[in-house]
Amino acid sequence: MSETLTTNEYTDDLRYEVFNREFMPHIDSMYNFAFRLTMDEDDANDLVQDTYLKAFRFISSFEQGTNAKAWLFRILKNSFINDYRKKSKEPSKVDYQEVETTYNSEEASDTTYTVDLRADAVQELIGDEVANALNALPVDFRTVIILCDIEGFTYEEMAKILDIPIGTVRSRLHRARNLLKEKLRSYASSMGYDS
Amino acid sequence: MNASSTTPSVTEVAQKQMKHTCEHHAECMKIIQAILDDEASEAEKDHFRENMDKCIPCIEAYRLEKCIKDSLTLKIVKKPCPESILNTIMSKINS
Repeated sequence: MSETLTTNEYTDDLRYEVFNREFMPHIDSMYNFAFRLTMDEDDANDLVQDTYLKAFRFISSFEQGTNAKAWLFRILKNSFINDYRKKSKEPSKVDYQEVETTYNSEEASDTTYTVDLRADAVQELIGDEVANALNALPVDFRTVIILCDIEGFTYEEMAKILDIPIGTVRSRLHRARNLLKEKLRSYASSMGYDS
Repeated sequence: MNASSTTPSVTEVAQKQMKHTCEHHAECMKIIQAILDDEASEAEKDHFRENMDKCIPCIEAYRLEKCIKDSLTLKIVKKPCPESILNTIMSKINS
């Protein structure tokens, strides 16, 4: 939750009004984000519910006129890390290792990196294939791509949602996209789209 | 017809100046992504404009990155949130 001190006084009526007007319109985006994080329908359901109930409980720390969608996404992301990542069938360990390895080898891979993938091959892929490639990424990398390319958040908003500096947003996105290209390339070649 | 007599020579000149390798491609990749994300600084935009006219690896990389971004934005289907979740949320906050 945001630690921001605020002087916003919310009457009961206003709480409901703000909740319905500012928060509810984002529920489809929130549900899709939750599903892509947990990769499980039941967990996604619980995560969205928990997030909205928290949002309502802590509504007085939401400043009207600020970005409600980013505020909600931040709560959802924190709930996911605190409550779901732990209990999900041990993938976080693997994820962390994979993330570390990728981070550590980044200097080398960055300078020499090219993926032999053509735009035409990507154009042939259908939505499910693109989604599968995205879902195959470690969760931290998946997250930045979802926030940037699917949900259209700015780097600054992403930095706030993820509690990381903008420079880290940039570099994580860059790495995420390199990994995604590798996944897309193997998809493209398995579908016979490759040159 | 006038145009066709001048166009080939322009293309020829352009082709001669085209770069087939990029000596700072890693840096260019970061700039290309910043451009597509609409997050590039003025300096990055300048660098981009200079390179996109003459650097073949950068032109191809731009096409690929744009294509991937567009695919993520446009092709991935968003599911609607199940009605049951909406109902549970509303009943819990109203109780």
